[in-house]
Amino acid sequence: MDTYILAIESSCDETSMAVVKNGKEVVALTIATQMDTHALYGGVVPEIASRMHTEAITLVLEDVLKKANMKMEDMNAIAVAYAPGLTGSLIVGIEAAKTLALIYNKPLIAVNHLIGHIYANNIEDEMEYPMLALIVSGGHTELLVMEDDYTFRKLGETLDDAIGECYDKVARVLDLKYPGGPNVEKLALEGRHTYTLPKPVMDDTYNFSYSGLKSAIINLVHNESQRGNEIRRADLAKSFQEVAIDELVRKVEKALKETKIKRLVVAGGVSANKYLKEEMQKLCDKYEAKLLIPRLLYCTDNAAMIGAAAYPLYLKKEFSDFRLNASSSGDIC
Amino acid sequence: MYCLYIDTHFTNLVIALLLDGKVIDKEVLESNKHSENTINLIKEVLDNNKVSIDNVKEIIVINGPGSFTGVRIGVVVAKIMGYCKNIPIKAISFLQAVSLNYDEDVTLGIKDRNGVFVGSFNQKHELQEDYVYLSNKEIEGYPKEIIMEDFRVDIKKVYEFLKDKEEVSPHLLKPLYVKKIEVQNA
Repeated sequence: MDTYILAIESSCDETSMAVVKNGKEVVALTIATQMDTHALYGGVVPEIASRMHTEAITLVLEDVLKKANMKMEDMNAIAVAYAPGLTGSLIVGIEAAKTLALIYNKPLIAVNHLIGHIYANNIEDEMEYPMLALIVSGGHTELLVMEDDYTFRKLGETLDDAIGECYDKVARVLDLKYPGGPNVEKLALEGRHTYTLPKPVMDDTYNFSYSGLKSAIINLVHNESQRGNEIRRADLAKSFQEVAIDELVRKVEKALKETKIKRLVVAGGVSANKYLKEEMQKLCDKYEAKLLIPRLLYCTDNAAMIGAAAYPLYLKKEFSDFRLNASSSGDIC
Repeated sequence: MYCLYIDTHFTNLVIALLLDGKVIDKEVLESNKHSENTINLIKEVLDNNKVSIDNVKEIIVINGPGSFTGVRIGVVVAKIMGYCKNIPIKAISFLQAVSLNYDEDVTLGIKDRNGVFVGSFNQKHELQEDYVYLSNKEIEGYPKEIIMEDFRVDIKKVYEFLKDKEEVSPHLLKPLYVKKIEVQNA
């Protein structure tokens, strides 16, 4: 029998719902983005995000059910992202999910947003184990091994800033608009790698560090403007991007070599970056590994990935009760 | 006819069930985690009275002002229930609900950490001017006496007051925040 899960995602600035069949097929997906509003302030304003989620919540539900041509009664379970993210925003999705679970008497499934990003790869591809998973987003930079569904072992993680955070900061010093990441990437296309920047971590672990690179760029821009020198913005964007991403490549290469695992998934918002994709593809070709990166729609925040990640929990009957609450941090392991 | 009353705007979480305008159950929970308690309390009240959500024909929700997250919880629950089960929703501010206890013109306030949410009502309990949020400093010079003591709400009175008031569409129902957020002040 087929399983239909209504999934809800509201961890940052997108209110999204999806109907996902058997953890694979996206029957319908609706994403209401607040990006234009937050762009006015140069970044996501948490209270505004919570307010907009509240205003959108029933409209998004109506839209997704209409697209799916289904009723709430047809669902087998309600899934919701509960962490990590902005707690005020997460709570809107969580309360909506709990209300739906109550009034339709359906099981409630709590999904970690980051695990959702990984399972986004299961929508159009097939995840097979063992597998390496690189999570790159505004809040996270980590490298994991998955031996099976929901079995995670952390190899390394960022010791300070996440790579996405670093992208946003660089966007700011380069006077680029929010969202910073895609705009830095766009600018980098016009530049050449001419600036010498410090390599993030020189050690032999699987850990990452981006605060040094971030500071180096802030200082460089500051010093050049003090001297009255023009910044070659496109070149700086390009130099930053290569140093930042080459570090990911170096650590993933070490993992491919040492673990001999032949599968890599890249997940999280930064996986939308083209340079990252190209470099990871080259690396996987070299080690004859299979690379999975979701297409753009499923790279960025969306509820379909929450539905995909909820399915293994549904099969294991790992349900949540109505005390489920939001959490800003949400380590996978 | 059953009516569900939801108030999550402040520390006291209040869920009540009315039958034909009479309060037949009322649960009050002092809670600093409304997100963990609201749905459970609603379930408890419905279950204890053997009432199915399908028999609830009206929702009354306190739409604020108060804790932003607190108010949002009650409002989101009401929106989803109202939308999915086609239950008419009526919203009222906590200050207006308290004003029903007064037969004369009155100015009421709800304190939070940094100030007071203020609303003035006439004898018919109509709001006189827009709600304001006054910082603790601004209160000192405020020309009217603000009553901040009486926090009891007579739910039966609220029901009666809202009887001939219009329902609000679940899509359009939103919290009454009153207080602006920092970036909007800039």
